[in-house]
Amino acid sequence: MRRSKLNILLVAILVIVLVLWLAVPFGMALLWSLVDPSKAWSYPDLLPQKLSFVRWTEMWETTNLALAMGHSYTLAPIVAVCTLILAAPTAYAFARLDFHGKTAAQMLSLLPLVVPEFVTALFFTSLLYKLGIYAKFPAIVLGHIVLFLPYAIRILTVSFAQVRQDLIDAARDLGASPWARFSSAFLPVLKPGILAALIIVFIQSIEEFAISFVVGSPDFTTIPTILYSYLGDNFIRPNAAVVSLILVVPNIILLLIFERLLKSNGAVTVGGKG
Amino acid sequence: MRAYSPSNWKHTGVVLLCLLPGLGLIILLIGTVISMAVAQSVGYFNFSGPSEFSLIYWQKQLASPFLHRSVLYSAKISLLSSLISVGLAYMFAMWLRRPFPGSTMLGGLLKAPMMVPGLVAAFLLLNVIAFHGFVNEFLLWTNIISKPLRMQNDSFGTAVIFLQVWKQMPFALLVLIGPVQSIHNEIFDAARDLGASAWTRFRKIVLPLTLTAMQAALILVFIRAAGDFSFQVIVGPREVSSMAQYMYTVQRLYGEWNEAAVVAVVLMTMSLTGALLLAAVSQFLVTGRRR
Amino acid sequence: MLKRTLIAAATALSFAQPALAADDIMTKPWDDIVAQAKEEGQVVWYNWFLQPRFREFVKGFEEEYGIEVTIPDGTNEGNFNKFLAERDRPEGDIDVMSVPGDALSKFDPKTYFLGPLDTLPDFDKLRTEINSGDGKGYAVAYWGNQTGLAYDPTQVEFADLPQTFDDLTAWMTAHPMEFAFNDPQGGGAGKAFVQMAVRSKVSDADLKAEKFDAGWDWFKSQKDNYGYTASNADSLTRLNGGEFHLVVAWEDHLAGLQKKGEIDKRMKFYIPKFGMPGGGNAVGIPANAKHKHAALVFVNWLTSAKVQEMLATQLGASPVNSAAKGVPGGVPAEQRAYSVDWLAADTTDAISRQFLEKVVLGQ
Repeated sequence: MRRSKLNILLVAILVIVLVLWLAVPFGMALLWSLVDPSKAWSYPDLLPQKLSFVRWTEMWETTNLALAMGHSYTLAPIVAVCTLILAAPTAYAFARLDFHGKTAAQMLSLLPLVVPEFVTALFFTSLLYKLGIYAKFPAIVLGHIVLFLPYAIRILTVSFAQVRQDLIDAARDLGASPWARFSSAFLPVLKPGILAALIIVFIQSIEEFAISFVVGSPDFTTIPTILYSYLGDNFIRPNAAVVSLILVVPNIILLLIFERLLKSNGAVTVGGKG
Repeated sequence: MRAYSPSNWKHTGVVLLCLLPGLGLIILLIGTVISMAVAQSVGYFNFSGPSEFSLIYWQKQLASPFLHRSVLYSAKISLLSSLISVGLAYMFAMWLRRPFPGSTMLGGLLKAPMMVPGLVAAFLLLNVIAFHGFVNEFLLWTNIISKPLRMQNDSFGTAVIFLQVWKQMPFALLVLIGPVQSIHNEIFDAARDLGASAWTRFRKIVLPLTLTAMQAALILVFIRAAGDFSFQVIVGPREVSSMAQYMYTVQRLYGEWNEAAVVAVVLMTMSLTGALLLAAVSQFLVTGRRR
Repeated sequence: MLKRTLIAAATALSFAQPALAADDIMTKPWDDIVAQAKEEGQVVWYNWFLQPRFREFVKGFEEEYGIEVTIPDGTNEGNFNKFLAERDRPEGDIDVMSVPGDALSKFDPKTYFLGPLDTLPDFDKLRTEINSGDGKGYAVAYWGNQTGLAYDPTQVEFADLPQTFDDLTAWMTAHPMEFAFNDPQGGGAGKAFVQMAVRSKVSDADLKAEKFDAGWDWFKSQKDNYGYTASNADSLTRLNGGEFHLVVAWEDHLAGLQKKGEIDKRMKFYIPKFGMPGGGNAVGIPANAKHKHAALVFVNWLTSAKVQEMLATQLGASPVNSAAKGVPGGVPAEQRAYSVDWLAADTTDAISRQFLEKVVLGQ
């Protein structure tokens, strides 16, 4: 097969690109993170002179990384699921119902994405306070849901639009129950969109700084708080490298799990014969 | 249209009920937040002095050449980032359309940058393009250059666009891959039998069938790139500000909260209209050409 | 009628109560404040730099008073946003708030902070104006520091270091792109250098009239000779990376990074004869702080002569309590004499703005 040969060539090219794309940056980060505090890595040394895990243990001991990761990884799945549930009806309406002002409504649904961070940090949080929501966890959950609804709405709208009316009709004609209709006509087509929306909202929630910090600090610290302390205006390479690596690794493992889920179900999505 | 028929009422009710939990929540909360920003731009919510109505902040900022330049610059960066990200994402989506050995792993690796927080991404790139970083040392070692290149703050914004694409392409891929995979093989086979080239097949089949997904990807990438602050500060050009950067300048350096709110409102308007224009143009190019 | 008046009076009273309590605290005898602070038992200090070191450092306070100190992670910007956003809460999370001295002009200290702080026993020995900002008695300096030039001795000999501003110009021409300073928005070191360049090139009369064009001409003529970095830390990182050999920096910042092996210990610091300003940071107590008494006691401890001397020897700060003895280590005393004060806040801001408009963006 010509296609398989082409694929081997393409994979080879891609491996090289990925080395530059991922391996070099991450390799450099790993090196920086291992620089021993007693001997800084400076020009003209091509490689660090002394390596140790001192920075890793120190970082783990002096910051609340474990706690922050615990918070972030509890927060994000809850936000992702709630956002998905709240977004689904709106996406359904955008994709499958006709009504006046749909274009305007779709435009309005993008609003949370365009609000600059300082506006969110100052006004959204003070709005939450004015609404009397002082409890940190629910306030952050609500803030994140509203901020990330547009992603879920957009992605699910695309998915809902792909559901074929003839399949729905056929299922109905065959006397299928609403659930059977949903799981046979809708679900297979929606699945990749659902997973994509979950992943995107999940990542956004893990990364969001403004609301989580202003509302959550000092007792509900999340990952970005620590990240920004070490990577903000005053970022310094070795410590930044340690924080980056600690935070990125679980994310990538999660992504690979998602990918597996997406693959095992996604292939079926080819849907009915046309 | 029969305006008052019961079925119409019922239909409107269903639509409203559907929109309530999603769009309703957005309008209620974000609508309030945006009106607060607008109120600040006309003189209220002043943190450093008394609050009163005034249009002076709008007059001052709209006359500022720096605001104009940052609007144009941000529009340029977002447009290029979204076109490149979506273009590359299509390429990978087409390639990964049919599973082959290792395609799951590949899909995962391609999407890995998405999991890297923006600041970390900028930090990783800095390590690579630094004056004595990997790229420069490699080029020096191979004698391609004799003096290290300064890649950190090029005046076009290439480094920023690179970072945007690195970070946003996976999002575009995630949005596009489902719809691309759901196109039937028979359609492609039929087109190939009719002698259509790969490009024609892409243009006549894939693009129209995945138009909504493409628009979603373009919109999301454009808006995210338009609001960029951290990439710009670290690797962006020095002689021009991104809109978010300019907004912080007005707020921090000038201490003008109300004027910063003007810039915020301009930024929101620009990202929204830019994204919608992009979607409209792509619709026209894809569907208009078919007729 | 009477009933209504009574109700009105009662409501007025109940509204007046918190305000009265807040005023009350400032007139209490100091011993009462200490006693109540111990009852509160804890204080939350929002400080945006060196948090791990400060967490160690405040153990002395915790042992002395039995009051627990929390120093959350956070950035300068993040802390400041939280500080502003919490204003309308009846009780906020912040008990003691650190701000860079120049940020004092970005909000109104009198409405956001508790005060005036003259109830502090040491108040007359403290500074309320620092780094071109004015705390108006509602914020006091707790951290002093010095700007200057950091250099790589393997690349530049001490004897060859530029001392006057003309020296610097000549050195830059001879060594293009080896000197760098940072964006004034990315940190005070760059702001300090821009100000000194203007002061070297512009007459006093023109300075007063905010006519700085001679200074901007200098920057334009040297455009290809200097590097322009993102922040204080970016300058030092790139000095360490061998890209630059002479950069504008904070003394305490460099010392702190060298101590932790982030920047090589060979890098050195000096204050040139043309002078570089000293600056600093201030603390205030938010008007809605939960632990006001503990906050007062903590601020008093932090700014006391004894603690200021410890900050100088352990963390490289310059003391800001006039009773504190001794100068910090680091540069020799004769160089310390080249330290100058910042220009007034208005002029400093005008310089930073014009620099941005005429030099950075105005090309």
